[in-house]
Amino acid sequence: MSQLSLKVEFGGGIELLFSKKHTITVELPALVPTDDSTDDQSLMEDTAKEKKPANLAYLVLYLRDRLLTERAELFVENGTVRPGILVLVNDTDWQLEGEGDYELKDKDNIVFISTLHGG
Amino acid sequence: MTSCGNPNVEKDALMERRPKYDGKTKICVKCKENQGNVVIRHAVYCKSCFFPLVQTRFKRTLEPSINPAPDGPRRKALRAAGSLAVGFSGGTCSMTLLDLVAKTYLTTRPTGNESMKGGTDHPRNSERGVWKGKPTVCYVEVCGAFSGQIDQTEVIRAIVERYPNCPFEFIPLRLEDSFNPSWWSSVGGGNAVDSARSFGLDISDEELRLTHISQSTPPDSSALTALKAYLSSVPTLTAVNSTIQTLIRLLLFHTAAAHNASHLLLGTSLTSLSVNLISGIAQGSGFAVAEEAKEEWTPRPARGLPVRVVRPLRDVGVKECAIWNWWAGLHPVDRPWYPSGAGKNAVDSLTRDFIFGLETDYPATVSTIARTCGKLASKEDSDERCILCERPAQRRVQDWKAQISIRSYSDATPAVSGITKPTHLSDDEISNLTQAKQESKPEPSLAPYLCYACHTTLTSRSIRGMTAPLSAQRAKETPLPMWVRSTLDGVVAKDSVDSEMIQSKKLTSQDIKSQIEQYLIDE
Repeated sequence: MSQLSLKVEFGGGIELLFSKKHTITVELPALVPTDDSTDDQSLMEDTAKEKKPANLAYLVLYLRDRLLTERAELFVENGTVRPGILVLVNDTDWQLEGEGDYELKDKDNIVFISTLHGG
Repeated sequence: MTSCGNPNVEKDALMERRPKYDGKTKICVKCKENQGNVVIRHAVYCKSCFFPLVQTRFKRTLEPSINPAPDGPRRKALRAAGSLAVGFSGGTCSMTLLDLVAKTYLTTRPTGNESMKGGTDHPRNSERGVWKGKPTVCYVEVCGAFSGQIDQTEVIRAIVERYPNCPFEFIPLRLEDSFNPSWWSSVGGGNAVDSARSFGLDISDEELRLTHISQSTPPDSSALTALKAYLSSVPTLTAVNSTIQTLIRLLLFHTAAAHNASHLLLGTSLTSLSVNLISGIAQGSGFAVAEEAKEEWTPRPARGLPVRVVRPLRDVGVKECAIWNWWAGLHPVDRPWYPSGAGKNAVDSLTRDFIFGLETDYPATVSTIARTCGKLASKEDSDERCILCERPAQRRVQDWKAQISIRSYSDATPAVSGITKPTHLSDDEISNLTQAKQESKPEPSLAPYLCYACHTTLTSRSIRGMTAPLSAQRAKETPLPMWVRSTLDGVVAKDSVDSEMIQSKKLTSQDIKSQIEQYLIDE
């Protein structure tokens, strides 16, 4: 099964939730379970679970479950990113790319920017 | 999903989330050539058109207010009466504001002969800026108010000083400067140490009576101790956040006035303006709702120029600011999201969560809030100003407040008279309840000098009790910010000398008869 290598960047203070890392590389299988489970067993190639192409909505849940170090409620709300967090896909607003339905491609650059610190 | 009512009764009460962008075209609406990069209120813009778009909105808001006469021929010349001060927090929007100011008004023009011809490019225009002197950037460090927070002053200084040729003068302030006589003296407020009166506040009393702090006040009562005492005495977490905002605002105002600034720019975006408007109205500042968007402040004591407070990003959403920062390579200062911890349940935090949710699902409603509030005006003008927040204050607020609510019978003289008297009390009982107050010697009180919102902030108790229990002595000697003490020195002294005391008193029929007894003719 092919793997996707994604560059994920954080800005605007959201990096505080990810061990203060501004940039990370995420390796994801191109096909992920349709039930959005993110554990190692579910991501194994020989798992019996039904598969779908990995999309942005899955990446958000993957980041929450595997890389977020504190206060998940500040990153995810109702299965998507919390209002006030902007997402850019290859320097383009994710709204133009179908938001969570955007199918991830290898070498994609995904940026999460928090706007919750105003002023 | 946003709820605007009772979904059991109203079919449309639950506003289902829907995509903001309909996917019809990805071409930029402005140049109509490039692929779009960002969606702003249903319109698609490319990266090249995005920067001029934000800059145009910024200039369109700011420039009409630069010249002293707002309707003057501004295209001909932009000349401010004084210098420029920028309030900077290091957050998303103020980062954008500083960048816009630097790139729009403070970039050095090329000196080649080709670019210096005439008109606005004439050399004499490049030598004279819009504002007089070097612009100042004021930053208020709030770490003193919260335990465990890191002082970010040097990080902010590095951000401000990285612009080419260092066009800004950086002025670091601290929240505790509000209680610091040295700072007050440095901004031209006067010598508070030699001040004749030194007032404290009895916060346990709804009348907010003023107490003279004795000379035996411990000498270690530093500004930071005073700040902590003040914040711990306000009754709710909502009030703590509101108080901090007021202190920051006045610190910026006084510092701007001290530097002879005619303009103070704040990085309030359209989104944060909507949050401030709704949150402010919820906390009782509806009378001064117009000041939330634009205000002109005259320093007390009089010095310098009137400071025009402008929010040039009030047509720019926080999303545009965040995108501007990212594409311009600017990184806002990292801060914990809710510095006051449990303060996430405060009115301003809850309002912010609501407005951000609304902006995600229905972006046009956020600008509607700001535009609608911009049309609001109070029924009557007022030349009075709140002594604490320096915003317009409604006359006779305390009387009105007493008429709409009874918080304690002993303090409710106006409320228990006339048609508003409680039906379960007789005239004699009401008279007895109010007697003690009328006979006691009136003490100076802060309440008559406050606006409704500030009085509510200081006195509205939470049903869950105080934020922290106060000792009786501390509650009676709550320190006051320097500008309040300074103004009080004048007004209380004046009131005690030449004011006329007027009190209303409900009399029983026996009292009335005894007063006119000598004029009655025997039957």
